[in-house]
Amino acid sequence: MKRREFLKTSMAASAAILGTTALSAGETHQPIDTRKVSDMAFPEKRPLITYSDRPPLLESPRSTFARGITENDEFFVRWHLPDIPTYIDTDSFTIKIDGLVEKELEISLKELKNDFEQVEVTAVLQCGGNSRSAFTPIAGGIQWGSGAMGCAKWKGVRLSDILNRAGLKKDAHWIGFNGKDNAAYYETPNFVRELEIEELNDHVIIAYEMNGEDLPYLNGFPLRLVIPGYYSDSWVKMLSNITVTNKYKSLFFMDVAYRVPDNKCECETPKHKFKPTKPITNMNVKSVIGYPENGMKLYHNSHVVVRGVAFDDGHGIREVLVSVNGGKTWEKAELKQENGRYAYTEFRYSYKPTKYGKLTFMAKAVNRLGDEQPFAKDIGWNHGGYKYNGIDEVTVEVV
Amino acid sequence: MKKLLLIAILSAGSLFAQVKGDIEVPYISYQIKMGKGFDAVQANCLMCHSFGYIINQGPQSREFWHKKIEKMIVHFKAPITKEDEKIVTDYLFKHYGNGKLK
Repeated sequence: MKRREFLKTSMAASAAILGTTALSAGETHQPIDTRKVSDMAFPEKRPLITYSDRPPLLESPRSTFARGITENDEFFVRWHLPDIPTYIDTDSFTIKIDGLVEKELEISLKELKNDFEQVEVTAVLQCGGNSRSAFTPIAGGIQWGSGAMGCAKWKGVRLSDILNRAGLKKDAHWIGFNGKDNAAYYETPNFVRELEIEELNDHVIIAYEMNGEDLPYLNGFPLRLVIPGYYSDSWVKMLSNITVTNKYKSLFFMDVAYRVPDNKCECETPKHKFKPTKPITNMNVKSVIGYPENGMKLYHNSHVVVRGVAFDDGHGIREVLVSVNGGKTWEKAELKQENGRYAYTEFRYSYKPTKYGKLTFMAKAVNRLGDEQPFAKDIGWNHGGYKYNGIDEVTVEVV
Repeated sequence: MKKLLLIAILSAGSLFAQVKGDIEVPYISYQIKMGKGFDAVQANCLMCHSFGYIINQGPQSREFWHKKIEKMIVHFKAPITKEDEKIVTDYLFKHYGNGKLK
């Protein structure tokens, strides 16, 4: 890799940052969609949009949303702490289960694969700050476009099976998860996530495979927590410790970061921040167009198939609607749902452009509860730029 | 109490290393602006994260940058001195600011 290429990479990632206007109300609009993939690839990844090398922060390009399963080498990456082990001895790696359990366990990878029932779930993994660049004034944090999400087939064992083998004590109430990534300073809090026992179900698994292969290193090799329907800050990577407690421990990543206003719109204004707040957990309904992409040229009178993906927190997608007239009228897209309710629902919509010039496609998903995506401008602002799910727009030119 | 972190391994490396072997994550030399206070930025920020983390936050107010540094001190326990807190804030606001104090 030549130095020149490094520079190009860094410039690509830092270009195209939104200018800001200080609006006291706070506004939302379409997320940034002009970023290019880097010239450089990270281990086991093809070149992706690159925000940081340490910790690694990589975003998938829009084209990944034309398919229902995101390939491992283009799946987004987001770590919080800089010191990630660069070598894992798969023979000696164990996961420890301790705290308020009858029997402390230390399970090797081999035991995990042989001694427990193996299960698979297809589920969407999405960063709570995905599409954060849609917020003005700019919310703190990495200014993600729409590509901090992906959908994969996760294979592993049920968390509940492991906890049952350890045996929970009577007053067990919280389960804390910690991975092998570390901070630069000992005093920095670990990236620990806690779940209440009531939040567990059979879909929560400890996964070692993603789309039929070992988890990629950057996606949490050799083990990660999979909580279908939840934002990815809960899906602890390189999972090595599970500790059961009776009391909730205060945790930075749950108590300070990853929180939204605890009101109906989950919104506030930059001048008047709303208290109290609540952690982000379940994902809201969202769809993204994978094809065509912004700026593409389509031929007049040609046959265009708009493709994309939709998902929610597991209630399931009822319909995806497409508009070509700015949202005045909507038509149903064809759906393909073959990987279960936590997976991407693929949608397709056939269209023949009959007017020259600019053409905007909009896609709107509705889930089985009747929740539907709002227009981007109707989403309330929040200081962390979390949970954006505005109606996606792609503008092409008909020539 | 500092745990030394190996930073800035400027290496060509094999970009598609095997997981089971040693993984080498590429180093990216993000183009960060030079100027007064840069040494303090390098000394205090680069310990935990790349410059990409800074420049991909977008142009921000002085208060925003100051709060980021406070977060690093209060929540992430970064040993940043009072003096450097101000120097780094000034630097970030000058080069990555939006012109607004708040």
